[in-house]
Amino acid sequence: MLIGIDVGGTFTDGVLFDDRKIRFTVKKPTQDDNLEQTLLEVLDELLAAADGNKISRVVLSTTLVTNLLATGQGERTALLMLPGYGLPHQAYSVTRDIYFLKGAVDFRGRVIEGIDQQQLQEILQDIQGKGIKRIAVACKFSNRNSSLEQQIRDFIQKADPEMQVTISAEVSGKLNFPRRAATTYFTAMTLPEWNRFADSMSQAIQARIADVEIHILKADGGTMPIEASRHQPCETVFSGPAASTMGAVALSRDQKNSVVVDIGGTTTDISLVIAGDPLYASKGARIENHYTHIDAFAVRSIALGGDSVIRCRENSIKVSPIRVGPAACFGGSEPTVTDAFNVYYKLGVGDAGRSQELLQSLAASGGMSMDDLCFYVVETVIERLKRAITEMFTEWENEPAYKVWEVIHRRKFRLDQLIGIGASAYAIVPILADEIGVPAYIHTHSPVANALGAAVVRPTLSLRLHVDTANSLYIVDPGGIRGTVERPRNFQLADAKVLALSLLEEISREKDIDKYTANAKFFMEEQFNMIRGWNQIGKIFEVGVQVAPGFIEEYQGVSE
Amino acid sequence: MKPTGILFFPAFDWAISPTHPEREERLLYTRDQIFEEGIMDLPQIREYQPGLATHKDIARVHFCVPDIDSQITEAHLISAGSALRMADAVINGEVRNGFAIVRPPGHHSMTVVHGNRGFCNINNEAIMIEYLRRKYGMKRIAIVDTDVHHGDGTQEIFWDDPDVLFISFHQDGRTLYPGSGFMDENGGPLAYGTTINIPLAPRTTDEGILFILDNLVMPILEEFKPDLVINSAGQDNHYSDPLANMCFTAQGYAKLNRRLNPDIAVLEGGYSVESALPYINMGLIMAMAGIDFSNLKEPDYSPEQFKEPRGNREALERIVNTQLRVFREREEKIAQARAKEQRPFRMEMRNIFYDTDYIHETQQVELRMCKNCLGFKIIMSSARHPSGEYYNVACVSIPLHGCKNCQEEGQYAYQTLQKGKYQLVYLQNKVDDDYRVTDTKTGYETRL
Repeated sequence: MLIGIDVGGTFTDGVLFDDRKIRFTVKKPTQDDNLEQTLLEVLDELLAAADGNKISRVVLSTTLVTNLLATGQGERTALLMLPGYGLPHQAYSVTRDIYFLKGAVDFRGRVIEGIDQQQLQEILQDIQGKGIKRIAVACKFSNRNSSLEQQIRDFIQKADPEMQVTISAEVSGKLNFPRRAATTYFTAMTLPEWNRFADSMSQAIQARIADVEIHILKADGGTMPIEASRHQPCETVFSGPAASTMGAVALSRDQKNSVVVDIGGTTTDISLVIAGDPLYASKGARIENHYTHIDAFAVRSIALGGDSVIRCRENSIKVSPIRVGPAACFGGSEPTVTDAFNVYYKLGVGDAGRSQELLQSLAASGGMSMDDLCFYVVETVIERLKRAITEMFTEWENEPAYKVWEVIHRRKFRLDQLIGIGASAYAIVPILADEIGVPAYIHTHSPVANALGAAVVRPTLSLRLHVDTANSLYIVDPGGIRGTVERPRNFQLADAKVLALSLLEEISREKDIDKYTANAKFFMEEQFNMIRGWNQIGKIFEVGVQVAPGFIEEYQGVSE
Repeated sequence: MKPTGILFFPAFDWAISPTHPEREERLLYTRDQIFEEGIMDLPQIREYQPGLATHKDIARVHFCVPDIDSQITEAHLISAGSALRMADAVINGEVRNGFAIVRPPGHHSMTVVHGNRGFCNINNEAIMIEYLRRKYGMKRIAIVDTDVHHGDGTQEIFWDDPDVLFISFHQDGRTLYPGSGFMDENGGPLAYGTTINIPLAPRTTDEGILFILDNLVMPILEEFKPDLVINSAGQDNHYSDPLANMCFTAQGYAKLNRRLNPDIAVLEGGYSVESALPYINMGLIMAMAGIDFSNLKEPDYSPEQFKEPRGNREALERIVNTQLRVFREREEKIAQARAKEQRPFRMEMRNIFYDTDYIHETQQVELRMCKNCLGFKIIMSSARHPSGEYYNVACVSIPLHGCKNCQEEGQYAYQTLQKGKYQLVYLQNKVDDDYRVTDTKTGYETRL
């Protein structure tokens, strides 16, 4: 049996899944100040329902890191940047505790300026003087050569063994220095808290279940073993929308172009699924207004949900972003968006009479008819959601392209369906789909799609290999490990692909997810002849291979 | 403030040949640099997706022999189309200015195209200018060619057009391809003074080029009052360029663009792919976006490295004086030419060499000395292509504001020439935006 638990802002959902069936579901209010407690309560109820049957895997999707970052409760962390030449220093603004150091690397990985130990010493003293205990180090082009970052870490750890140092080359190997610096900074800031959480969850779960795989859901819609999460806590941000989107795909199980509309209590998350694959945000997850190198789905969140309260003031109707409780038809004290849809389309959801009653009195207090009130609310909600969907399409279609082939084969999106998930999807999504002119897909289990998604997705792993045969070297992301290319003059794209795949397998073994590498696919293959004068001096290869988001093999769908 | 538009199209799957300077690798390190800098994430920058030019966009400028498809690849359509996309964004006010970092380049391509000259098949800036005039009714456009090579293609295309100001500074044609761009190349009789060439001595530094910019280019632009300024932005004046001998730096390029303040910049040449392009492109982007570029430099650069050649300042002052006079006398000179010209047509013979494809073209150009408009033009062109095929074609071009008479005479010429010895006869009617080719052997006419 499989267990998936998704911690949301308001509720935490859990499912017990086995053999095409959702055996049991749990929904509990989330205690923000005690996530572990919430998780264990949900887990214990699921385990009770499992009745001693073997649990092979538990997947958790948590908001721990998201909350730490969003509430500004992360511990004070210094960021050492080595920007070399280029943008002015004031372009970098992740934190007020930024220090700029001498030292620079270029795009070929050549050190063009060494570090200045005197300067480093002074900066370290300043950091210590402020009582800061965590340092993130980011050097421009450290993804091509991390030696300066490593020298800095060695220096600091020698001078102050207590100081926690995180270097950017080990966090991400993708181009984009500001994003890498931000990701490293957020990683350094959340690492100890995350590890405390990981330790205590591992212990608690292992005490309850023998011999179980414990995985954490990532923003990219895949899982990672809890041990592997200890180096990359930031991968867990925005795992909630990822759980929902993967849950939607798990339920629909088709190759269609879909919009996933996850209507929660106060927010609606919209994501795109292209031919069965969820779409990634092209600039990575955005944390605190900073782009990062964390792969995340392209999700648009709108402050509007089924429990959004309708208020009326001086003849103007307002769909408020706040939640005071459930919809009136489910026993709430004020009419909400769900109630308006319930009445206007005569859906008969819950206690429909109560919806009507509260809307009627609200309309009367505003001096209008209830029909007009409901119509206005429905119209507003549909328009806002439609606009958000259209904007997402346009953004996706306008993504830049860098190859002739990509421009000629310009993508065009033809929408096949809307997939509704979340508790309020029943009321709103069919109407929205009708307005757009496509069918709506709503599965019976769509209210717990998020927890199901967590339970059945497989691990993901993405590897990029940069080979520079003129320098006889290669460098690997993740990890920033450098290696030597044997026989560089004979090295071809095919060799680069073989190397990339074997590295992926190696890393998978380390992370204990090697049974999934059979699903690995190449997503990038670039090669460049390097010519100086009129002679070829080498080649540069960029190869990317990944285990993309998907489902574990034993998952074969859910019966209705 | 509005952002700066950037359209980056490195054509990572297109090359003239595997070892040619115009190959996939050309913008690789520029990609590394601008992506690593995270420049596209800045609020001052808006990135655009490449566009595709249509065959009609090309026919507005070029006569491609035997047809457009045999002269271009898809990469050319994207490179030109991207310039158009950038232009749209600027004119529509989405961005304050725009830089199309695209390849293949275009500024050596002339009106008639038999093959590739100086790495260029079709002229991206010229296609953009004709598009802007057609789509937005734009009148006066200035193009400043900052490539180290003379922009002979752009010059030839707008030679007889007083509404397009073409200013090119470049390494002296006696020392570098294409061997033209001398001081006395000032434009056709009805467009005198709106072609301005500034040949510079080899090893001219930032100081010299900025002197020319401040004392010649900027004053002329101020007096010409263009609706739009385009930088035909070559990057091969750089001290490390393998194909030229100048001493310009990334800082110099950035300063030049800050002062020139072009509405649109389109990348042209520049083949120091590793030591120069990443830094110059950063400099251009930062200059156009109003970002402080004082922290930008090439890793191997030091300020004492380059000195202006001795006596260069005096030479530059002479150039400034002469060319300012040429520009300021233009209306007078045009009036004189009109008064003096008795013949109905002005005829000119010329030979054009295509270095990349090794083609020798012979042209006879006849310009109608019209009293009411810029006059229609007939170009008779012949050349043997690398395929062995020999082409003899006639091309009629009616200018955008051509008078009734020139339109009629041009149409008549198009018909009459079909009875002559030419395999293909072209009509480029810019008044009606109508472009035709007749294959005289079959009588079949293609129309765009």
